[in-house]
Amino acid sequence: MSTVTTVVTAARFEQGLTWGDFLAGAAVNRDKFEQNYVNPVLTGEDLSFFRKASALPEGPRKLLAIAEAWCGDVYRELPTAVRIAESAGLDLRIFLRDENPDIMDKFLSNNGKSRAIPVFVFYTADTKYITHFIERSATAHAGLALAMEQAKAKLNLPATATFGNLQDPEKQRYLEEVISTIEPHADQWRRDAVGEIRQLLAAALHLPAAL
Amino acid sequence: MADQSKLPIVYTIRGCAACVKLLTKWDAEGIVYDERRVELSQATLDQARRYGKLVPIVVWPDGRVEQGFGDSFGCFI
Repeated sequence: MSTVTTVVTAARFEQGLTWGDFLAGAAVNRDKFEQNYVNPVLTGEDLSFFRKASALPEGPRKLLAIAEAWCGDVYRELPTAVRIAESAGLDLRIFLRDENPDIMDKFLSNNGKSRAIPVFVFYTADTKYITHFIERSATAHAGLALAMEQAKAKLNLPATATFGNLQDPEKQRYLEEVISTIEPHADQWRRDAVGEIRQLLAAALHLPAAL
Repeated sequence: MADQSKLPIVYTIRGCAACVKLLTKWDAEGIVYDERRVELSQATLDQARRYGKLVPIVVWPDGRVEQGFGDSFGCFI
């Protein structure tokens, strides 16, 4: 199995927070976590897939999440992971990113430069790594890139403009334009994340995604 | 003690790379600021959200607001 999970032993996994512990300890955004929990994006077909996958001998039985309560991507995506775990009978444990750098650093993104969260890692019953998902769906990343291009066109900025090389106040107008473009897509991108997680699991377990 | 109202207010999150870069730069330049950590209380987070959606958020004494820093948007809150 992959070497990316060597720090996550069965004993270490048990040290993670339960969903209840995480919510109780969250200083911020409890309302957003609860709102996304009671408004899940999972379909019946999704839940059926995760239940069937978890019933396989080498299927997922444990789900590790790396999170922080302040993060927008976390309060959007973590409740979905909780729903998956509850419906498929997975043991879910949540690790705070900034208190568990050794685990976080096994799942870096952006060519090893970013500690993006949330991270969801699926394990077998005996804590063998299966697969993992980081931060948000590929469609969300593509949508953000498209929004950046559209903002440049709308504000008549040169093609070479980036957030890094613009100056205020133009920089701030660019940022606000990007944000207003991506916000309406948040729920669709949550649904896309579920599809992507299914694809990851299906590939790792050699299953059809429509199981 | 410095007059708080004359200082830039900066909303940050521990572990946010863009926040760290901004404060490192300001510290090197000797800029005095009022840092408010949004992950520590809902009230502070709600204050920050009145100004923007990405930290670091800087509120200058003249009322100008800036989000993100350097080549990074920062962290969504």
